[in-house]
Amino acid sequence: MSNNPYIPMPVQIAKIIDEVDTHDIKTFRFAFLNKEDEKNFKYMPGQFAELSIYGKGESPIGIASSPTQQGFVEFTVQRAGTVVPGLVTSALHDMSEGGEIGIRGPMGNSWPIEFLEKKNIVVVGGGFAFTTLRSLINYMLHKDNRSRFGEITVIYGARTPGLLLYKDELAAWETRDDIKSVITVDKGDDNWKGRQGFVPAVCKEVAPSPKNTVAVICGPPIMIKFTLPVFFDLGFSKENILTSLEMRMKCGIGKCGRCNVGSKYVCNDGPVFSLAELEELPRDF
Amino acid sequence: MEKRLIKKDALAGIAKKMAGDFLVWAPVKKEDNILFEPLQKDAEPFFAYLNSKNAPKNVFFPHTETLIKYTRTEKGMVFSEDENKAKDAVLFGVRSCDAHSFALLDMLFDQEKYKDGYYIAKRQKTTVISLACVKPPYASCFCTSVDGEPVSSEGADILLTDIGSDYLVEFVTPKGEKLTKYFGDTKADAASETRKTEIVAKAKDAIKSKIPAHEVKPILDKNFDNPFWATIHGKCLACGTCTYLCPTCHCFDISDEVKGSDGVRLRSWDSCMFPMFTKETSGHNPRTSQKERWRQRTMHKFKYYVDNFNAIACVGCGRCVMSCPVNIDIRKIVEDISKL
Repeated sequence: MSNNPYIPMPVQIAKIIDEVDTHDIKTFRFAFLNKEDEKNFKYMPGQFAELSIYGKGESPIGIASSPTQQGFVEFTVQRAGTVVPGLVTSALHDMSEGGEIGIRGPMGNSWPIEFLEKKNIVVVGGGFAFTTLRSLINYMLHKDNRSRFGEITVIYGARTPGLLLYKDELAAWETRDDIKSVITVDKGDDNWKGRQGFVPAVCKEVAPSPKNTVAVICGPPIMIKFTLPVFFDLGFSKENILTSLEMRMKCGIGKCGRCNVGSKYVCNDGPVFSLAELEELPRDF
Repeated sequence: MEKRLIKKDALAGIAKKMAGDFLVWAPVKKEDNILFEPLQKDAEPFFAYLNSKNAPKNVFFPHTETLIKYTRTEKGMVFSEDENKAKDAVLFGVRSCDAHSFALLDMLFDQEKYKDGYYIAKRQKTTVISLACVKPPYASCFCTSVDGEPVSSEGADILLTDIGSDYLVEFVTPKGEKLTKYFGDTKADAASETRKTEIVAKAKDAIKSKIPAHEVKPILDKNFDNPFWATIHGKCLACGTCTYLCPTCHCFDISDEVKGSDGVRLRSWDSCMFPMFTKETSGHNPRTSQKERWRQRTMHKFKYYVDNFNAIACVGCGRCVMSCPVNIDIRKIVEDISKL
């Protein structure tokens, strides 16, 4: 790769996983076409990259794979736009395995791994906003890393069973004893044997202890709104609640001037912020 | 520092001589406007100008610029970095405020972590020759309020000051010194430097428009939600003229254009004044009205840039004041903020 941060690296779609029964969210596994690019693409959970489709444009998407997974990088992408279709995401969804696109990155900060070390981690996700959380969970669960973290609890919810992402991995986590996995849906169906209920309510029920614990929360605004008070009531401090922001972006490297919230650029200074940091920022997102 | 004197009527000839050797951007008359354009053979530069209609930022940060070219082939997409087209160039005769803006833009495009090669290549290959404002041209000039001066070498490689019958030529940087041969061999004497000192003081005094640009920073720090922000935008047309003409506005869009099997990825100037600027695919827009957009523009210049680079992102050229079709005046906005 050249030193030019605007030039994408060529990648090939190695695998496409149709994640949900509405077929509008797919996970794309990309293999680098140049070995050197693969070596240079060093990322941590929580970072994102620009997916680049020539003739369409670019979209900033969180990295869904974990750096512990070698040889590929994964992104879970929703076909965006209901009135006007998202150019890039639609084009990507219409592609097949073997197709080639470009990626630029990795970009942004990451989940603060050093800060999370030696602590218990509660991961709370809602709906589609589970992608970089999945990266974090798989990173922590890796055999080389698991001992660096305390108890791991995952609370993940979707509207329906068919909308849960990464179903195979969710099932695999259920069988492990080094992760407590609580999966819930707003409304089950005839085949659903699991838990029913909204994420905030489930958090209240699970009631993780705030002691030496960090909560990492991503989800739709409505979920965040009702989940935060639950964690405050449990005694979590704002420094120990982390989340990730999204803004419209173009360059991804702090130049083009559109993703700032106050003096911070979400692309460079974020996307990961603690709640304490977010409260310092103006409500401009 | 090397200093020389040239006769005032020699200036156009020097610019034209340079234009025979490399690309020279100079002020030229175009209909009613003065614009910085590549000096064509036989064209006359116009140095008796007040200031150019557009800021000369387009020399380093063109209105539209190709980032990548690509071609669809049987083997997939083949792309190429647009070959580095930066040529040796001279930007001849910019005002001190505009030269100041280059120092400000460098802070953003030439950061340690991510370097913008397109901008940097043109900056490195271009020598900036400033033509000081010995008589500040407009009542709306306020450079002295934003760390500028009408006669200043900030951002310049060579500074030209009109000291009466001659221009005093000061070679400010090594890059500027490389062009000494174009400026004759009359060394500047002590009298000419004394004359310049007088002129600098006089020019500074002539800037009558003042704004409390530094004073508003601590106020902006605390007043994101002040009702004041609802008082600016009522008449704003969201035309973007202010950002288009501004020497320091640098926000851009990236878009693809395709014709047949060939395509380009372009970057073009964008504006925080436009509703689409921050509109997300989901339909969510963090800045829902012109009120939030004006707050962003003001904050970016007088707070965010100060937070990030310790510099105000305004050079006091007054172009936005003069060209706003509905007379929104950044000077009044800053003045009003200082009283919050």
